[in-house]
Amino acid sequence: MAGLELLSDQGYRLDGRKATELRKLQARMGVFGQADGSAYMEQGNTKALAVVYGPHEVRGSRSKSLHDRAVINCQYSMATFSTAERKRRPHGDRKSSEMSLHLKQTFEAAVLTQLYPRSQIDIYVKILQSDGGNYSACVNAATLALVDAGIPMRDYVCACTAGFVEDTPLADLCHAEESGGGTTLSLALLPRSESIALVQMDARLHQDHLPALMEAATVACKGLSKVLDDVVRQHLQEVSVQTRE
Amino acid sequence: MATIQVSEAEKVYIMHGVRDDSRVDGRGCEDYRHMEIETDVVSNTDGSAKVSLGQTDILVGIKAEIGRPRPMVPDEGYLEFFVDCSANATPEFEGRGGEELGVELSNNLYKVFNNRHSLDLRSLCIRPGENCWVLYVDVLLLQCDGNLFDAMSIAIKAALFNTRIPNVHISEDEEGGKEIELSDDPYDCMRLNVENVPCIVTLCKIGHRHVVDATLQEKSCSVASLLISVTHKGTVTCVRKLGGGSLDPDSIFEMTETGKRVGKMLHVPLMELLQKEENLGRERTKVGFLA
Amino acid sequence: MPVDTKRIRGPELSQSPLLFVSPVSEVSSSSSSSRQGVRGNGDVRPVFARCGLVSQAKGSAYLEAGNTKIICSVYGPRETERKDETDMKSGRLVCDFRLAPFSCPKRGAWIQGAEERDLSAALAESLQPGACLHRYPRAQVDVNVVVLENDGSVLAHAVTCASMALADAGIEMYDMVLGCALRQDGERCLVDPDLAEEQSGAGENQGRVAVALLPNLNQISGLQADGEMREDTLTAAVRTCVEGCHKLYPVVQQAILRAVKKKAPPPPEK
Repeated sequence: MAGLELLSDQGYRLDGRKATELRKLQARMGVFGQADGSAYMEQGNTKALAVVYGPHEVRGSRSKSLHDRAVINCQYSMATFSTAERKRRPHGDRKSSEMSLHLKQTFEAAVLTQLYPRSQIDIYVKILQSDGGNYSACVNAATLALVDAGIPMRDYVCACTAGFVEDTPLADLCHAEESGGGTTLSLALLPRSESIALVQMDARLHQDHLPALMEAATVACKGLSKVLDDVVRQHLQEVSVQTRE
Repeated sequence: MATIQVSEAEKVYIMHGVRDDSRVDGRGCEDYRHMEIETDVVSNTDGSAKVSLGQTDILVGIKAEIGRPRPMVPDEGYLEFFVDCSANATPEFEGRGGEELGVELSNNLYKVFNNRHSLDLRSLCIRPGENCWVLYVDVLLLQCDGNLFDAMSIAIKAALFNTRIPNVHISEDEEGGKEIELSDDPYDCMRLNVENVPCIVTLCKIGHRHVVDATLQEKSCSVASLLISVTHKGTVTCVRKLGGGSLDPDSIFEMTETGKRVGKMLHVPLMELLQKEENLGRERTKVGFLA
Repeated sequence: MPVDTKRIRGPELSQSPLLFVSPVSEVSSSSSSSRQGVRGNGDVRPVFARCGLVSQAKGSAYLEAGNTKIICSVYGPRETERKDETDMKSGRLVCDFRLAPFSCPKRGAWIQGAEERDLSAALAESLQPGACLHRYPRAQVDVNVVVLENDGSVLAHAVTCASMALADAGIEMYDMVLGCALRQDGERCLVDPDLAEEQSGAGENQGRVAVALLPNLNQISGLQADGEMREDTLTAAVRTCVEGCHKLYPVVQQAILRAVKKKAPPPPEK
């Protein structure tokens, strides 16, 4: 590959991580007071904000409501200053619409929508700073926001990306690694049952390598789920201490 | 704006409270709510700030790009404002729902900065008639709880204070072609003089009095408000009546006077705070949304 | 739209050559008290106003102040398109302000730009306090303003013109709404500025003010100012604008009276 060496001979990546190492993950739930649920997530330099409204009555035309389950409505947008080059519109372009659709599909698989027939759950995610793995940061943030809103789910939804460089799978790619043109696999996983909510892969990869790549992504997702669980538990502890007082 | 429903009885209660100079949250008529400011929160930008005023949350990111100066003013750079009313603030803003408010807010920002002294636009010029810096001021509404204008202007001032534009060197090759080189050194940068950047004070007429920094509840009790942008010297750069009601000329004069006084008072602690944060330098732990 | 690929198209960005013509040497600043030798600083331009020019509309008005020419037509009240959020108890005033593409020195686009949208909003805010909208529940009144020639103070005159059109349409109103603009240039304040006066000037205390006034109720329904002004200058400017509005009132009254007489001629005296 020209230019950048994504994996050094010693087995270190551009930012000094090992192949399977995740970026530093920090998160907080209940960032906003007005929304029903909200969460903020930093995955390395990627920063995402998720807000959940609902479940509530279906807005707009009634015909959208489903008689046996809730409608999940997602909007993905990026702050105009989130990328290196300024974006002209925060949402509404093709890429954001696709991302919104992916998020919707992911959460339809995880939220127990049948508990809220004829209602709607809104999930809005915003990327404040983009440095690779936007989709996974959004999914993780939205999961926390859903937990914050008290919406029942089958399990946490954890998402992570994985790439493949020089026969080694790399977990949690940053922007430089993502834009290198190599394979990128995004996986959203319900870790306890190991069921896949969404998987997407671009670029070419030999079929023999796929299991290894999937394995790397799965392990990464499971690692993430532990961190998310800690965040939730810590948040609950803080809240319960506050209420006890 | 986030929908709130205020009953008639509540409105009467709020109006009577304002009449007796005590508001629902215990503030006086000229008091602001608790405010938090942090600069340099988004590292992708050249300058950024996050301001929360009560439950109103605003994030401003400034990006400097090289563009062509406007033909009317070849020796000046310019500012571009964009306000993104994200669906995070309220589901009504989903899709194109927030566009109308966003355009209204950004139009007012252009008005506020439509004068020669707010910002030294000459310093943004690189080569007259050829290149200049364009500052894209992007405002992101994350939560609305009234008084967007004031919070927005404070956030913009803080972000402009935080803005660092890399210095440029113009080199010339043999054929006379000029090339612009950006400095790589993060400390080799240009700062903006934000002393004259105005702050907006919105005064809400409630009953016979007016209040500063109205919450959404209070706003629903008033039919008209007055937006005044004031510099630290007390110069007024923009006035606008907002809302569907009308105002007595005398109350307008009273409100401008209050606005000027409050606005002038707002600048001093703001600049002190920004300077103090700046002095912390690299030791400062960035909190952002993780507080 | 099919594009003729054979033809060499002009550059995407083009500017009117007028922009590069050095601005006309300021005649107005030299002569101390009169502007273009015709009027004093505190004078408004002569106004010509007529109601009922557009026969298709419920009400209409045409206003000319110097070279500024504005036409306004009012349609409705008619049933509003149902929106969930709107307050159904009172009617809506929908304003659409447009600068005709040929109205300004630089050609504008047909599509409504950000500036026009801003002016529409300002117009709506100024007119709303004057109209008895509670008399029209679940209805909307459309106000369309087109500036045919922009020679300064468009917003102020648009407000006056629109309120005349509203009156002509028989929309119930508390009062007329009159607009007046002012250009503060240092210590000098120019009432009802034309386009050149609006854009000229440098130095301290520069500003533009536009006021909309309900003359009988003595209420200010619209106020817009930008530039840089001291507070006392601003207050004085607003006062001057209020006076300017009062100067317009007789003309507007006459025009409306004339329109009413035409619609319902008084019974012949015996």
